[in-house]
Amino acid sequence: MNRRTTELLYLVLAGAVSTMAYVSVYAGRFREINRASIVYGLVFVAIFLALHVVVRICLPQADPYILPVTALLAAVGLTEIFRIKPALALLQGQWLLVGALLFVLTVVIVRDHTRLDRYRYLVGALGLALLVATIVAGTTVNGARLWIHAFGMSIQPSEFAKLAIVIFLAGYLDDKKVLLSIPTRHILGVPVPAAKYFGPLVVMWVLSLLMLVFMKDFGMSLLFMAVFVALLYMATGRGIYVVFGGGLFAVAAAVAVWLVPHVADRFSVWLDPWAKADTTGYQLLQSLFTIADGGVLGAGFGRGFLLYANHQPVVPDLQTDFIFAAIANEMGLLGGVAVVLCFLLFFWRGVRIATQAPDGFSKLLAAGLATAFGLQTLIILGGVTRLIPLTGITLPFVSYGGSSITANLVLVALLLMVSHRSNVVRAGTDLERRRLAELG
Amino acid sequence: MNKAIGRVFLVGVALFLAVILNLTWLQVIRADHLATQPENKRQLAKEMRIKRGAILGFDGSVIARSARRSGFYQRKYPQGTLAPQLVGYDSVRYGRSGIEEQMNDELLGRAPELGVQSWLDQLLGRRPTGADVVTTIVPDVQRVAQQALAGKKGAIAVLDPATGALIANASAPSYEAGKLEDEWATLSKDLEAPLLDRPLQGLYAPGSAFKVVTAAAGLQSGVVTPETMFVDTGTYVVYGGKVTNYGGAVYGPHDFETALTQSINTTFGKVGDKLGRRRLVGAMQRFGFWQVPPLPLPSGAVVASGRYDGEGLLSPEAEMDPLAVAWAACGQEQVLSTPLQMALVVSAVANGGPVMRPYVVQEVRTADGGVVEKAAPAEWLTAIQPATALSLNAMMQRVVTSGTGTGAAIEGVKVAGKTGTAERGDGTNLAWFIGFAPADDPRVAVAVVIEDTLSTGGAEAAPLAADVLRAALAQAALP
Repeated sequence: MNRRTTELLYLVLAGAVSTMAYVSVYAGRFREINRASIVYGLVFVAIFLALHVVVRICLPQADPYILPVTALLAAVGLTEIFRIKPALALLQGQWLLVGALLFVLTVVIVRDHTRLDRYRYLVGALGLALLVATIVAGTTVNGARLWIHAFGMSIQPSEFAKLAIVIFLAGYLDDKKVLLSIPTRHILGVPVPAAKYFGPLVVMWVLSLLMLVFMKDFGMSLLFMAVFVALLYMATGRGIYVVFGGGLFAVAAAVAVWLVPHVADRFSVWLDPWAKADTTGYQLLQSLFTIADGGVLGAGFGRGFLLYANHQPVVPDLQTDFIFAAIANEMGLLGGVAVVLCFLLFFWRGVRIATQAPDGFSKLLAAGLATAFGLQTLIILGGVTRLIPLTGITLPFVSYGGSSITANLVLVALLLMVSHRSNVVRAGTDLERRRLAELG
Repeated sequence: MNKAIGRVFLVGVALFLAVILNLTWLQVIRADHLATQPENKRQLAKEMRIKRGAILGFDGSVIARSARRSGFYQRKYPQGTLAPQLVGYDSVRYGRSGIEEQMNDELLGRAPELGVQSWLDQLLGRRPTGADVVTTIVPDVQRVAQQALAGKKGAIAVLDPATGALIANASAPSYEAGKLEDEWATLSKDLEAPLLDRPLQGLYAPGSAFKVVTAAAGLQSGVVTPETMFVDTGTYVVYGGKVTNYGGAVYGPHDFETALTQSINTTFGKVGDKLGRRRLVGAMQRFGFWQVPPLPLPSGAVVASGRYDGEGLLSPEAEMDPLAVAWAACGQEQVLSTPLQMALVVSAVANGGPVMRPYVVQEVRTADGGVVEKAAPAEWLTAIQPATALSLNAMMQRVVTSGTGTGAAIEGVKVAGKTGTAERGDGTNLAWFIGFAPADDPRVAVAVVIEDTLSTGGAEAAPLAADVLRAALAQAALP
C-alpha cells in the first residue's frame, strides 16, 4: 500500500470516529440525532479529504500518519468545543477552513522548504517583528499580553512567530554548527566555544526574558527558550548548551517570579492551589476536580458535567487552555491517554522525518517543529494537570483559537514538505544505488 | 545529528509518559480524594440535575419545590418565603442547610428506605426521583408568626405540646428564600444575622419567663406552695448583693401565686436561694437545659440552653454563689435559653409533666405517593410531677387573666402563660411571652421573644403570642 492510500484509510477512520463523537455529543445535548449532525461530520471529512488530495498531488511521498492524527485531534477538539459552546464550534470550523487554505498556500507557494533557508534572515526578522508587535500593541487577557486586536479579530502572533523562529534557527544553526561545536577556550577546564558564537544564545535568552517580562507569559517564553536550546543541542551535539541554556532560563524564571506578579501568582498556585481556592487557585483546582471526576472510562461525550445551569463552564477557559480537562472528564483516563498518545505519535513522526532528512537544514527544521509542537503540548497538558506551573498556551489542534489551529496546520504543511523531499531524495539515491549495482 | 535528535526524542517520550502517569494519579488513585474536597462542588452541582422532592407544609401545600431550567433544577417557593432558616437552602454555590440538608438523601431519592435503583435504570442512566418531605410546619400559623415579627427583631417558636411537632418557627430579620444566592454576600455579613434561625439557635436571657422553671422547682421540691406568703420590701439582700424588682416596684405581703402573676423578683430570689444551685440546676436539666433538643437537624442548627460565659456553655456543676443563684432564679445572671427551649418548658406544664421529643418532619412520601417514613411522637424527658404541673397551669392562667400577661388573653379560650422582660443594660429590653392554650386542654405551646425593644414582655410579646395562638387554634388539624 503506498503512502497516500495508507493516509486515506486512516483519514476515513478519523472521519468516522469524529462523526460518531459528534453524534454522541449531539444526542447527549439535544436528545436526538438529525441531519445537521451528519452534515457536520461530512464537511469536516471533506476538508481533510481536500488536504489529502493536495498532498497526493504536491507531496505524494510525505509521511502518511501526520495528516490523519491531525484530523483526529482537530475532530476531538471541535466536538468538545461544540459540546461546551456550540456557537464557537462554527467559528472554529471556519478557522479550520482558513488553516486548510494556509496549508494549501504554503504547499503551493513554498513547494520546496529548502527555499526557505535562503530567506532565513527575512523569516527570522518577521518572527521577531511579530513578537515585538505583540509587546508594543498587544492587549492583555488573563494577565498575559499575547493578543493583537486587528480587523475585528484577536490574533495570537506568537503562534506564527514560533514557526518563523524555528525556520530561522534551523538555517542559522545548520550554518554555524561546526563553529559552535569546536571549543576554542577552556573555562574552569570546561571546553567553551568562542564568545561570539554565544551571541545568538544570549539574544534568544534576552528575547525570552523580554517575553516573560512584557508578555507576562511564562509558557511561550519557556517554549521559545527550550526550542532554541534543543535546536542548539541537536545541531552541535554538545550537552554544555543544555546546561547553560537551562541555567539561563532558570535565572530568568526566578527573576520573573520575583518581578512579575502574574507569574508569581501562577507559581504559588502551582505549589498550593488550595491556599487560594476561591481566587487565583480556583481555575486549576476546578480543572483537577473535573479531570478526577472523569475516572477511568469518563462520562461519555456530551454526558460529563461541564456546564452550570447558566451555561458557564465549570472551569474558566474550558474551551481554550483547559480543553484537555473537558476531554479527560468525558472520555476518562482511556480517552485522555489516547489523546496524549496521538500527540506523542505526531511528535514521533516529526522526529522520524528529521532523522531521515538528507540535509542539516531539513533535519533541524523538522526536529525544531516537532520539538516545538511536542513541548507546547507538554506545557499545557502539564499545566492543567498540575505537573508544572500553569501557563496560558493552547493545546495544538484541540483548543479553541484561530491562530493556534492555522499556525499548526502550516506546521503540518512544513513537516510534510520535509518528509516528501527526503523520501524522494532517498528513493532517488536508492534508485541510483540499484542502477550502480546493476551496472557493477 | 541524528543521535542528538534521538536523545531529545527520548526526553520528550519521558515527559509524555510523566503526563500519562500524572493523569492516572488524578483520575484513578487520587480521584476519590479529590471528589471529596470541600472546594469541589461538582457532586453538589450534579445533584442539581436530579428532580429534588418537594418540601411540604403540614396541610400538604408546597413550601419549596424544584423547577427545571436548562437541565438543572432550582428551588421555587410558590407560597413565598416560609420559615427559610428552618427549611434551609439548596445552592450549588453555598451548599445546603436546614431541612434541605437533613433530608437530602430522601429529597434526592437515594435514601436506603426508598428502595434501591433498579439495574435497568442505572444502565440507562435514569436519574432517581426525589421523595417529598411533609413537615409539621402549618403555613397558616407560620405566616401569622412571620407577620407578627414584621419590622421587628426576634423569634417565635410554636409547638404542639402533646406531640412535640414544631408548628411554626419564625425568625426576624429574615430574607427572601428565592433571592438567597443573589443576596448571599450582604446576608452573610449582615450584623443583624438574617441567616440565623433564632428560635433554635438564638440564645437569649429568658428573664422572668424563666420563673416558670424556678416555680416548678420550688413547688416540686416542696420549698413553696402557691399559698406560701412572702413580704416584699423592694429589695432582697443576699450574699453581699441584692435582688430588686423591675421598675423599682414594692409589693408588700403576697402569696407565691401573686409573685408569679406580678413577676416579683425578690420572692423568686428568696425561692432560688432556698432551693440552692443543685436543685435549681437539676430542675433546669429535667426541662432539657444543657442538652441540644433532639430535633433532627444538621449539627449546629439547634443549640443547647443553660448557663453561658464568654467561652460557651458552662458545666451544670459550675460553682454559683447564693446571689448568682437568686438572680438565676429570676432568669438573669448567666442563664441563656433558646425560644425553642422555653416553648419546651411550657409544653411540659401543658402536658402535665412530660417533654416530647421535638420534630419537624411529619412524613416522607415517594413520588408515587407511598409513605416511607412517618413521625412517631415520643417522650423525651419528664420535667415535673402532674400535681406540680396542675398548680403551675392554674398560676399561669392567672398571669393572663389578672397578671402581667393580660395582653395574651383570647376570648373564649383559657390561656396560660408567663411574661418576661430582660433588661439588656443598654436601655433596651428583651420582651418575652411563653404560654399555651387552651389551658384546660392544651393544643398549642408558644414562645415569643422580641429583641431591642423599649417595651415589656406583657405589652410587646403577649399580644403577638395571642395572634399566633388564635391562628393555631383556628386550625382544624394540628400535627
